[in-house]
Amino acid sequence: MKNLTANLATLAAHFKIILTYRGLMLIQAVRLLLLPMVLASAWLSIEKTAENPYSDADYLLYYLMVPVILNLTDSRLVFRFPLSVRDGSLSRELLKPYPPLAGYVLESVANNLIQLLYLLPFTLIMGFLIRDRLVLGHLTLPLLGCAAAAVLLGGLLRMLVSGSISLTGFWLEDVTTLNLILNGGIWALFGGMIIPVATFPEHIRQIAELLPYRYMLSFPIEILTGRLNSGQIAQGLVTTIIWAGCFALIARQVWKRGLKVYSAYGG
Amino acid sequence: MVVSMRQAGIILKLWKASIMQALEYRASFAFSILANFLDFVFGFLQYLVFFTAAQSIAGWSSQHMLVLYGVFMTVFALQFIFLYPNLVAMGEMVNSGSLDLLLTKPVNAQLILSLRRVSFEELGSLGTAIALLAWLAWNGTIQMTAGNLLLFGLGMTSSLMLVYSLFLFLMSLAVLLERLDDAAQIMWSMFALCRYPADVYPSRLRFLFFTFLPVAYLSSVPAMALLGTASPGLVFQGTIIALMAVIATTMFWRRTIRAYTSAGG
Repeated sequence: MKNLTANLATLAAHFKIILTYRGLMLIQAVRLLLLPMVLASAWLSIEKTAENPYSDADYLLYYLMVPVILNLTDSRLVFRFPLSVRDGSLSRELLKPYPPLAGYVLESVANNLIQLLYLLPFTLIMGFLIRDRLVLGHLTLPLLGCAAAAVLLGGLLRMLVSGSISLTGFWLEDVTTLNLILNGGIWALFGGMIIPVATFPEHIRQIAELLPYRYMLSFPIEILTGRLNSGQIAQGLVTTIIWAGCFALIARQVWKRGLKVYSAYGG
Repeated sequence: MVVSMRQAGIILKLWKASIMQALEYRASFAFSILANFLDFVFGFLQYLVFFTAAQSIAGWSSQHMLVLYGVFMTVFALQFIFLYPNLVAMGEMVNSGSLDLLLTKPVNAQLILSLRRVSFEELGSLGTAIALLAWLAWNGTIQMTAGNLLLFGLGMTSSLMLVYSLFLFLMSLAVLLERLDDAAQIMWSMFALCRYPADVYPSRLRFLFFTFLPVAYLSSVPAMALLGTASPGLVFQGTIIALMAVIATTMFWRRTIRAYTSAGG
């Protein structure tokens, strides 16, 4: 209960900080909205191959949902935590009677939630404007519930992947390089950002389904497009939980070992 | 002339310091080059997978798209090497007050702030992008005529001038807003617009991208020049727009610096 009050207070504090620098939200908006819109334009202008199962309506729904899901499963841990190791401010967090990483996690969550202020209206307005080209008849409450669960688990998974990478900041001066390898282009490819995973050739799709990236972005949207049956949804949710469990273990080990070598060299 | 030689000398010394700083952590430096090379490879794979679901995109075949990717990555890597580290440092300088210190020095602040740091981590991408273009020239996708190469040279110059204009605009915004941690994100988002040919956009957006928000000249037009499909008029139009953009953003920068009263002031 004490932690819950502290968490809510921390979340509220981060909301206020973010709203103080409202200009930054504009930058986030550009980052979140521009690429999906570009990709939607690109996919609508292609001459499709015979094997491509997606129609224009599928691409429109897919890239309409990308900014919201991308934001909800986003994690800024990898940018924030290594900084606090470098400048020594982590030392302060370690002294507080409060989980030392909670502040960083809540900062990331607050940032994601606040972007919904413009992302949800944008998505609804765009959805209304292109309503004639969208197919939404398959959306039922259970399907929406599954998509919500996939988003929550996907967000948790991305947080744990980013967290594990950011914790290597105990040893590495700059973790962005490692992040680029494990969480950059490979995520864009296998996560479904550039190409919806469902339109991959069979053998590449199988690889994508085994890797964790699909579950951070593409999977919740695939549920919403109504192209997955209940077995495939259940399989996807279980895979997400397994990956989240693996990265939780990795993060825990890295944190334990990292704390032993941490000497607050910036502080 | 003496002044500009002096400024060039200062920039070279600052670059030398940047390189020495990077080489202090040699393993990390080599790792960064490898990471950026891998990022290029994943980008390349994206195009290959893209063309398993598409036969062509707005009339551009997979080979044509590789030319676009090669040009795009060349421009992107060059901005990453020469401009990106300076843009990242700008927000920090405004917040810490070190910008005030630099503005009092007898140097051209715009030049020094634009070019004082370099980051060679993108050398892996730059080298691979050039190798990709060379391979496309060898296999005949790129039309290697003198006219095309001339137009490509002019198109690339315009492209880099436009990138610099955007960079300078964001530097000015960092000073105005006093906090612009993610300015580089805007830069990267603008690059997202250039990953695909301008032809993929609806006609009104396309008009915008060829005029008031001239992102079409960043990669599409130089790629079209290499493919022999760009008219000289289009390339010259890009050069005029790029010149106007550099002049306009330089004026905006000067006005911003004149109005600057220090982050705390």
